[in-house]
Amino acid sequence: MRRVGIALALFALALSGGGWSHGLAQLAMVATWALAGLGLVLIVGQTGQLSLGHGAMMAVGAYVQACLVSIGMPSPLALLPAMAAGGLLGLLASLPGRRLGGLAFGMSTLAMALIVEELLVRLVPWTGGAAGRVVPPFVIGPWTLGSPGGQAALSVAMLVLAWLVCRRLIHSRLGRAWRASREDESAAAAIGVSAGAVRQQAFAAGGVLGALAGALSAHWLGYLSPEQFGIGLSFELLMMVFVGGVRAPAGAVLGGLVMVALPQLIATLRGAVPALGSGAAGLELLLFGAVLVLIVLARPAGLAGGGR
Amino acid sequence: MRRLLTVFIALAALFAGPAPAATPGVTDDSIRIATIQDLSGPIAILGAPIRDGIVMRLDEENERGGVHGRKLRIAVEDSGYDPKKAILAARRLLGDGQVFAFLGNLGTPVVMATMPLIVEAGLPHLFPFSPHLATYAPTHPLKFQLFAPYRDYMDAAVRHLVGQNGYRRVGLLYQDDDYGLEVMRGVESGLAKRGLALVERTGYKRGTTDFASQIARLRAADCDLVVLATVVRETVAAAQEARKVGWPVDMLVTASGYSAQTHELGGAAVEGLYGVSVMPHPYPEGADGALNDWIQRYRTRYDADPNVWSAMGYDVADTFIQGLRAAGRDLDVAGFARAMASLNTTPGFLGGPTYHFSPEDHLGNRRGRMARIVSGRWQLVSDYLE
Repeated sequence: MRRVGIALALFALALSGGGWSHGLAQLAMVATWALAGLGLVLIVGQTGQLSLGHGAMMAVGAYVQACLVSIGMPSPLALLPAMAAGGLLGLLASLPGRRLGGLAFGMSTLAMALIVEELLVRLVPWTGGAAGRVVPPFVIGPWTLGSPGGQAALSVAMLVLAWLVCRRLIHSRLGRAWRASREDESAAAAIGVSAGAVRQQAFAAGGVLGALAGALSAHWLGYLSPEQFGIGLSFELLMMVFVGGVRAPAGAVLGGLVMVALPQLIATLRGAVPALGSGAAGLELLLFGAVLVLIVLARPAGLAGGGR
Repeated sequence: MRRLLTVFIALAALFAGPAPAATPGVTDDSIRIATIQDLSGPIAILGAPIRDGIVMRLDEENERGGVHGRKLRIAVEDSGYDPKKAILAARRLLGDGQVFAFLGNLGTPVVMATMPLIVEAGLPHLFPFSPHLATYAPTHPLKFQLFAPYRDYMDAAVRHLVGQNGYRRVGLLYQDDDYGLEVMRGVESGLAKRGLALVERTGYKRGTTDFASQIARLRAADCDLVVLATVVRETVAAAQEARKVGWPVDMLVTASGYSAQTHELGGAAVEGLYGVSVMPHPYPEGADGALNDWIQRYRTRYDADPNVWSAMGYDVADTFIQGLRAAGRDLDVAGFARAMASLNTTPGFLGGPTYHFSPEDHLGNRRGRMARIVSGRWQLVSDYLE
């Protein structure tokens, strides 16, 4: 309950700056990023594996969605192949996990992110190459989700659904196997849990969620280019879940709030204090960094706390 | 009865709050605009001087009393080159309903993500720093652009140089991305008009520092002109490599390599290098009256020397002000857009091009000038090329 309170207070504070449309646009972004964060909570929080390539899952979802919608597939239908592609990429990314563990495996996910970014530049007929491609708005039946209200509604609905599925997964036999492999691989093997196999499932599930977030954000941004999906994005996502709390689904939402809404809040406050003027741009980054450090110091397990 | 009516009107006025401005961002004595810059991301090195140039020009206008009695205010937002942040910034500014236009937004992802929101909200989207075609074509009543795609500049530059110096074997070193490909198209079309084709082309990946194999390949093709679709560091590295292996070939770099850093870093190796200049670099040495005054004012204000990006920012704001003047005292978006669509700017002391807009063509200029590094600094060696 307290977590929800913190979230609501943060959001209300961030909202107060720029009117409804800005607030709803933020809500859409927070919910979309939280979706990607949920994927990381499964991979990093539950199985304890470092994924430095989550941005690639978003990229695959975004580009598959954009391609399919551009050839005339209805946007809600296109979400399914986009998510499947993300799951497949997650599965691929987890293959080295059968041989590698820890940091070495983390590096292999980083390599995958680099390969995907490079492919986005090379596969010009589908991705538009470095010049990027425009994505039309999300259309459900007669409704075109061009306004932030519709975008927020769809993102939040997807987030709630994904949250329920994640909770279910975490409390299931599979979730227990994930945590067993995280705590002690040999002990898990002794009770018949194959660490490699359950990691693969976590990566596939995480990939599906990452791709869903990517597909939605493709519509919200309206324009895709490879540089948006560099390794910086993967690190940003990782930072988001660590700040929010990597062990609990709530961590993804709180992390999303901090990463998306906090810079906006700082920008709004700066606007309200004219003395700072327009010359104090570095200030926003400085304040943001300081708040992140404070959060990590005060709550090492993230805002959402320990969790499972 | 009359008193009652007066009270009623007074009350109504009270509850209605301040009368809604007829045109967003415009009041009797002020005009508020916005710009989305990169002040903390990968191209902050461009964003900061652009912002400084814009703000300086607006403030100068305000000191002279503003445009038609209205002072100019600007909201500067930092996107960090992140389209997500840019969209939220644009929504916040649009939500306030207190912005008249967006001016000089920086970076293609940022521009492409926010431009639809801005023009849908009915606000002018002016002079973005992005070479993307969508910023002016197809013609949209609210989109105006000053900077042409690389293709246009390079087509003219290659034609000019080949015509002047009689090159027969032209080669290309290009960055392996959309920038490089865009330049390649321009070079090819320029050569085709002279009845030539590229005799060799060789690419490199962004971040490459060693150009030994590329230069060897271009040399083996016996090129007499090498076009460089490079940025500053690669321009210097490629020129140094050619000089190191004792190859005194002529080279031509795009507007991306036209920077004071090129000769500061390259020294003797880049002496004689041709470049395309869209806006001349504001060198303090040898600057005449008005330009020298401007450089001194800029230095006093920002404690730094202006560069070509500061000049572009200043130019962007100046063109906007000329548009506002042409639109007259009764300012609304439609009137401003009409005025912009027939604007012919007067040249300023910075030596930039004049911009011509028409209802059919909202790209103000397609022409660059040839420059050459002589005695360690860029000198303009041609007029604007057709």
